Amino acid sequence: MSDRLDHDVIIAGAGVVGAAIAWHLARAGVRVAIIDATGPAAAASGASDGAVSVASKKPGVMARLASASLIYTHDLAAQGPLQAAFAARPAHIFGSGAAELAAMDTLAAKLNHLSGRVRVVADGGPDLLSGLGTGVDRLMTLEGEGHMPGHKAVRAYLAAPGITCIWPAPLLGYEVADGFVTVRLADRTLRAGQLVLALGVSSPDLIPGLPIVPRAGQLIVTDRGPVGALSGSLTAAAYLVAKTQDGAALPLLPVVIDPLTSGQYLIGSTREDHGDPTRVDFATLRRLLTRAATVWPALRDRRVIRTFAGVRAAVSDSLPIVGPLPGADRVTIVTGFEGDGICLSALIGREVARMLCGLSPDAALAADLAALSPVRFSKNRIEGAA
Amino acid sequence: MRGDRLMRDSRVLVIGAGLAGLAAAVEIAGAGLPVLVVDQAQAPGGAVHRQPLPGVRSIASGMQRRRWTRLMAQINAQAERIEIRCNTRFGGMDYTGDALLTGDGRALMQPRALVLATGARERVQPRPGWTLPCVTTAGAIQAELKTTAHPPYGRVLLAGSGPLLLAVAAELVRLGRAPVAVIEAGHPFSHPLSALRLPASYLIEAAGYLLRVKAAGVPVLTGAHVLAITPSADGLVVRVNTPRGDRSFGADRIGLHDGIAPNDAGLPVDGPVPVLRLGDCREALGARAALADGRAGGGRLAAQLLGRAAPDPSADLDLQRQAQRRLGAIYAHDGLTRLSDLPSDTVLCRCENRTLADLRALGSNPGARGLRLDGRFGMGPCQGRFCAEWVGRLSTPAGLPLPHIGSNRWPSRPIPISDLVDPSAEGLEP
Repeated sequence: MSDRLDHDVIIAGAGVVGAAIAWHLARAGVRVAIIDATGPAAAASGASDGAVSVASKKPGVMARLASASLIYTHDLAAQGPLQAAFAARPAHIFGSGAAELAAMDTLAAKLNHLSGRVRVVADGGPDLLSGLGTGVDRLMTLEGEGHMPGHKAVRAYLAAPGITCIWPAPLLGYEVADGFVTVRLADRTLRAGQLVLALGVSSPDLIPGLPIVPRAGQLIVTDRGPVGALSGSLTAAAYLVAKTQDGAALPLLPVVIDPLTSGQYLIGSTREDHGDPTRVDFATLRRLLTRAATVWPALRDRRVIRTFAGVRAAVSDSLPIVGPLPGADRVTIVTGFEGDGICLSALIGREVARMLCGLSPDAALAADLAALSPVRFSKNRIEGAA
Repeated sequence: MRGDRLMRDSRVLVIGAGLAGLAAAVEIAGAGLPVLVVDQAQAPGGAVHRQPLPGVRSIASGMQRRRWTRLMAQINAQAERIEIRCNTRFGGMDYTGDALLTGDGRALMQPRALVLATGARERVQPRPGWTLPCVTTAGAIQAELKTTAHPPYGRVLLAGSGPLLLAVAAELVRLGRAPVAVIEAGHPFSHPLSALRLPASYLIEAAGYLLRVKAAGVPVLTGAHVLAITPSADGLVVRVNTPRGDRSFGADRIGLHDGIAPNDAGLPVDGPVPVLRLGDCREALGARAALADGRAGGGRLAAQLLGRAAPDPSADLDLQRQAQRRLGAIYAHDGLTRLSDLPSDTVLCRCENRTLADLRALGSNPGARGLRLDGRFGMGPCQGRFCAEWVGRLSTPAGLPLPHIGSNRWPSRPIPISDLVDPSAEGLEP
């Protein structure tokens, strides 16, 4: 590309998706810079539970993409940047009552249909998992999923040579003219061949009209204790309902108990329509902890040391937005993962990098990736900067 | 989702039954408003008036006893409007105004206003060996003396800086266990003229302590710093740097103290109801100021809640602020500049066992997120309450603002999950 440019591609947003795109571009020899208003993994990626989960994805486009991304994540962990960031581990799903049990049937059918890396290795009563308390009628254990803390993944991707990191540097605006994009930061302007907006919940600041709303989830972190008491995440089937059937009345509280490698637990989570990361309330946390400690009584010996709300970027039709921005040549938008960015980042990173290099997508995924294109909202007046 | 919304409680919730909290309670109740005072200790008193265990005689001075008796008489005069719950911890107040109390006074309530009077915490600068067993704060030794009237086992050494060191040393002498040494980083006796401008009560108190400590032959080294504490066959060895060379002391118990700071980690800044910080929790000025600030703040809050005109601000507070500033100047020392000379394996964050080397591995100016997410500083149970100040100073180039790695959201202290789960709920309702 031209010497008139500071960078071939500038990525705005150093979350897990932006970092994955940067890594794939750098590996292809593209001169790439990544900018962020705060720093790496400063928003949803840093607040995530790190689940790389196919089970929780809505059947169809999302489940297929997640399944493909999981396989690719395993590759990048086996010999690639995610070696220290990703760890395979089992996922336990539990249910109580007819609605949750039905959701588990749906999950088994979905996984069977996907025939990907995730498979059910055990399905039965609560005695399948030692340490389980009361309030569980059925337990299902999956293999093939994994855990990848967002900040570790971002750091791993950005450690690769050839990526220029610029922060704190809020993106004040951009103009497309004369065959390049001019990006305005507080203290300078940069020229690039292409701009990628991977800004998560901040995307509407740059692209007015984009149908993205913040969706917060309250999270609880405990103190340390014995490591390995719980082999993988322990997820209420109601969580699958919450994530796969928008607006469905939940049968029970959608709690997820996530054992961290430090011996701590991360317990979540709600879906609330606001974007304030400090907004947590005792009544909700008490309800989350009450179900969590009923199902996993070892929690009664732990203490809560931190609470916060992670803010996801949700799209009105529950599909991420990935593709060239209509009406703004040289600008690509990648956002709206609503908490699924950790799982999808590897695949989306690879495919967006291919897209920017002018290559066609993986044939098996072309239709699903096309479904994420922002053109589906062009009637709603999304537009690039004037 | 929010079927369990609470009714607004008519009471003002006061956290901390020390001088500031109780003085505020007296004023608020005196204006006709009901007050609930909670304290984590077994009895009211706070750090200054910590009460002896049942059956133990008080070691408080006559002046302290008179002040406490007077305050408790005022509380008792308002008994029908003031309830004091001890063994009760404040878990925090959320954005809806729910306040969480755990322990004996366990409750989820929506108070009419929240008064935070949680006092001061002791600052302890990291030094090699500061996390060893039998190394505590000097204040912890003082609390032990007040509750048990019994000195700790073996040889006691006090080190750091500030008037508390001599106060604890004098109490130890009185109880028959003179400390092996007092290691003071400042040069408090080199400023006789400044000292004379302190309020007389400060001088009389300090002179009394010093006389008793000197009479017992306790070495008081000034301009002296602890270089390292190491375990030995029979206890601990403390290596001390003095203006006249290095020295070593053997000790069984060490009390460190580098001044006081507001004990405000994790406390709400504001909320849907009035939130007020009083006493050392707002500005660490000591006992006399806490009493004055508690009274004045309680009166202000009551006036605000009742829609009356605010009372005149107290001039007392300015006086104490001035005195504390003088004390600060008298005890000034270069301890902070020594931070960066610490050996690289010195523990900075004891919760997560993170050292100076771990901090330096993060590069220059890693910022709050880097310190927390990558360095894990301030990520343990104390959430930075004890290490944030030092980690911030060490990780930030001179002239830049310190990163905020502490937490200002609840829980202000670790809360047992067993205290949080709903005892009545099946836990299965949607």
